[in-house]
Amino acid sequence: MEKVKNFLKQDIDLGILVGITCTVLLVAAAAFGSSMYSSRNIQSMAFQIPEFGFLALAMMLSNMVGGIDLSIIANANTTAIFTAYVLNGTWAFGTQGGARIILAIFAALCTSIVFGLLNGLIIAKTSAPSLVATLGTMTLIQGVGMAITGGASVGDIDPLFSSFGKEIFLGLPVIFWLFLIVALVLGFVLSLTGFGRKLYLYGGNPVAARFSGFHNEKMSVLVFMLTAILSGIAGLIILSRVNSAKVGYGDSYLLQTMIVCVIGGIDPNGGKGKVGGVVIAIILMQVMSSAFTIMSLSPYTKKLIWGIMLILVLGLNHVIAIQSKRSTLKKSMKALASATK
Amino acid sequence: MTKKIDAFQRMLLIIIVVYSVFVTIKNPGFFQIQTVFDIVKTSSTTMIVAMGLLVVMISGGIDVSFMAIALFGSYTSLYIMIQTGINHLAFAFAVSMGIGALLGLVNAVLISWLRLPPFIITLGTQNLFHGIMTTFISDKSFGSGVLPECLHQFGQGTLFKIATDNGSTGLTVSLIPVLAAGLATYFILRRTMVGRGVVAIGNDEESARRAGFNPFRIRLFVYAYSGALAGMMGIVYAAQVNALYPNKMVGDELMVVAAVVIGGTKITGGQGKIFGAVLGVIITYLLNSTLIMIGLSSSWNNLFVGAILVIAVAITSYQERVKNRKHLIFTE
Repeated sequence: MEKVKNFLKQDIDLGILVGITCTVLLVAAAAFGSSMYSSRNIQSMAFQIPEFGFLALAMMLSNMVGGIDLSIIANANTTAIFTAYVLNGTWAFGTQGGARIILAIFAALCTSIVFGLLNGLIIAKTSAPSLVATLGTMTLIQGVGMAITGGASVGDIDPLFSSFGKEIFLGLPVIFWLFLIVALVLGFVLSLTGFGRKLYLYGGNPVAARFSGFHNEKMSVLVFMLTAILSGIAGLIILSRVNSAKVGYGDSYLLQTMIVCVIGGIDPNGGKGKVGGVVIAIILMQVMSSAFTIMSLSPYTKKLIWGIMLILVLGLNHVIAIQSKRSTLKKSMKALASATK
Repeated sequence: MTKKIDAFQRMLLIIIVVYSVFVTIKNPGFFQIQTVFDIVKTSSTTMIVAMGLLVVMISGGIDVSFMAIALFGSYTSLYIMIQTGINHLAFAFAVSMGIGALLGLVNAVLISWLRLPPFIITLGTQNLFHGIMTTFISDKSFGSGVLPECLHQFGQGTLFKIATDNGSTGLTVSLIPVLAAGLATYFILRRTMVGRGVVAIGNDEESARRAGFNPFRIRLFVYAYSGALAGMMGIVYAAQVNALYPNKMVGDELMVVAAVVIGGTKITGGQGKIFGAVLGVIITYLLNSTLIMIGLSSSWNNLFVGAILVIAVAITSYQERVKNRKHLIFTE
């Protein structure tokens, strides 16, 4: 019991999050019963989580350094478009079968890295605020996709590749396992390596980081490249799940990724947050969205709920932060009083 | 304030002129008064909200909820008018702008209270406002026949007409609200204490506070002003389209942000000019309406707007960075 108490004290946000998630899971079980927790629904949720999850992880990384990356969805879609062109043979350079798929994945990697490099260089070299810089690159990347496709969707991709998104391993989709592995690796990198520690410090106070001898410009290029690679993977998953790519797919994800980050305990001002929290928040979000689908809510009602949720969570976080600050102050005052006695 | 046009705006003007000449060479049909009138009409709605957004951005914030506010205001006021049979344009504007100002106050209170990036908060309120409107008021669409008659007349009205080769063409009456918004913004920013305060908190909130400004009150004003202009824009939009759908407008915010940023406004606050914002809006609309004339489909629009936006952002931020580094200011 003492251990649990200590854990909760240590990480009050995560404790609340786990509590809320359990409540929502139980309420969902009570309200929908078998239709919510049938193996079919769990599997379909596991199919939907990865594409959104990768975008959320990308948003999380950019939030951790106190920035924001609006271009993640445009990046995912345009990467998917490039890959689809390779996979349907338009830009395949005569490759077939497995070679073509390797070429396609290589193309996706290159595209997303180029987009990430563009973001990172603009932000690092001109000190542009990431909000406007990525607004610009978002429009530009969308524009590239639009100019190539003319707004039409690109389909007719290699069946071998599209079957990958539907493959099941140990009862869960392969793409879900992929998501879990990437989240684990990312969590490991952020909490246990030098790069992760630097990232937290850089996000918390970039000026202090600069004067502590960090290469701030290198950091921000690296972070935005990593963000872009994660969104590129999201693009690949979308492509293999939907069998086609087009500009404008999943535009509503932008708000949802931000909500997930905020619920998951990421401070949008930078320097705080854990991958674990975000992963739990992603699952919470998916369960709720599944419940909305079962209740067949209109998209407008969903919007209302997401909006309320974002404001509510931000408000709650704020109140909790003030309370915890007050209690620390009280404690230290008490300690001071007893020390002077 | 002695310098009327700075180097950045001159560059934008040159871009507009060069591009127009290029389009005219490609397609002589572009060079006529009709084109100007068309661009004035289609860009009028964006112009109005761009003024509000400009003030918000000079104060160091950002607002992406204005389109939802515009929809909320215009939809609610027109819904009341349809239900009660009131047929008066002033009523539409008054109610819509009042609702807009109120919703803007909600934004300001949340931003001041939570102390988080305004982008995230207004993204939340954007969905909140849109959701509240569609869930609690109505989500029906209104076609042209149902809307009040005065609105239709306003949307079709012209200030004056000019005879051209194929009939006559007129300057839209929507120019009046645009001019009103522009002049009001100019007056507030340049001639009032509140306007000085807006620039001051945009530059440095702490210094502004110590100089005697009340950032909370200024922020209340700024977001309420943006909301009121959004409400005005909603009515102009509904009048021009002559129909009202609960899913229009919302989603176009970022293009307006892009236009204002292209105009040289600094998103970190303290800098921005009305003329620049106007030029930014004109550039986006010029591209939008003329790409077909030079033989490209309209799907190339985002590519050009994005490229211009990226370049504009890079130039303004780089200048700022060089200046800051000279004074040993590291803002990252």
